[in-house]
Amino acid sequence: MSTDTDTPAAAPNLQTLEAGQELPTMHKFPDEAQLFLYSAASHNPHRIHYDREYARFEGHDDIIVHGPLQGAWLTQFVTDWAGPGARLLGVTWQNRSSGLPGEELVFSGTVTSVDSQTGVVELEIAEHTSDGRLLMPATARVRLPTA
Amino acid sequence: MSESLIPAETLERVGEVLSGPVTVVIDRREAQRYAYAVGDENPIYFDEVAAQAAGYRTLVAPPTYVTHAVVQPRTASDLRTDGLYREGTRIRLRVDRVMFGGEEWDFLEPVCVGDEITATVRLAAVDQKEGRKGPFVRQVRETTFVNQFGDEVARSRMIGIAR
Repeated sequence: MSTDTDTPAAAPNLQTLEAGQELPTMHKFPDEAQLFLYSAASHNPHRIHYDREYARFEGHDDIIVHGPLQGAWLTQFVTDWAGPGARLLGVTWQNRSSGLPGEELVFSGTVTSVDSQTGVVELEIAEHTSDGRLLMPATARVRLPTA
Repeated sequence: MSESLIPAETLERVGEVLSGPVTVVIDRREAQRYAYAVGDENPIYFDEVAAQAAGYRTLVAPPTYVTHAVVQPRTASDLRTDGLYREGTRIRLRVDRVMFGGEEWDFLEPVCVGDEITATVRLAAVDQKEGRKGPFVRQVRETTFVNQFGDEVARSRMIGIAR
């Protein structure tokens, strides 16, 4: 259950940031232990996250990564990029597919708008498997420090 | 025009409170356990000095943690065979299955350790749509989170797709 980020964190500069710029990708490697810990920490007893036989009975290929965990990773992807002085204002995501333990999950994003007066930056982001299956298309709004 | 999947009694419930208000205190250990489970070790969740340097009153909780913080303890005898708890309030629809469609979040104010958060869930919308695979229902459960100062700190919309 580790995280890799392509480039070391350097907070984005509002003065040079432009629509179209891409964020450094983030990679997650969920395993059974992480799914167990997330079920416990989020008080989620849904069987499809820990009972392989039951998950297959419901039509899944394996136990599946929780939607809200994938959502929490999307917020981490943005806050890690934006830095501690930024404020996450909003996020939206759609559940298209679920990640499985053992898969590498890749988070990518593009700046769609920058308001240099207010510091508000809009992003289009997504979570895919490393072989390109789209799990979550998403958007985020974040306010960067203006000072 | 296909038959409505939404009974009239369900349409009348739009705007109704489905659960809550529930009030909880944001606990440092639980918020940190959550951050570790996500694998998000941002210092603002763990180091009070780092949190204050970033402009927060004290340690802050991860953005969507608040929705898990307000889950009420339940007896295991309330679990269904799929592992979910039986719901107190059911939305009647003429459908076979309900799937999680996604979530929409507004983060309005930080949620810090020690904050007292009150959550209220409402049925925000139930709409029938036409999809490529036929009609489906999009239902939205909106939760508002208000802190001890009376400030709304977050709003989430959980989108369910039923067909």
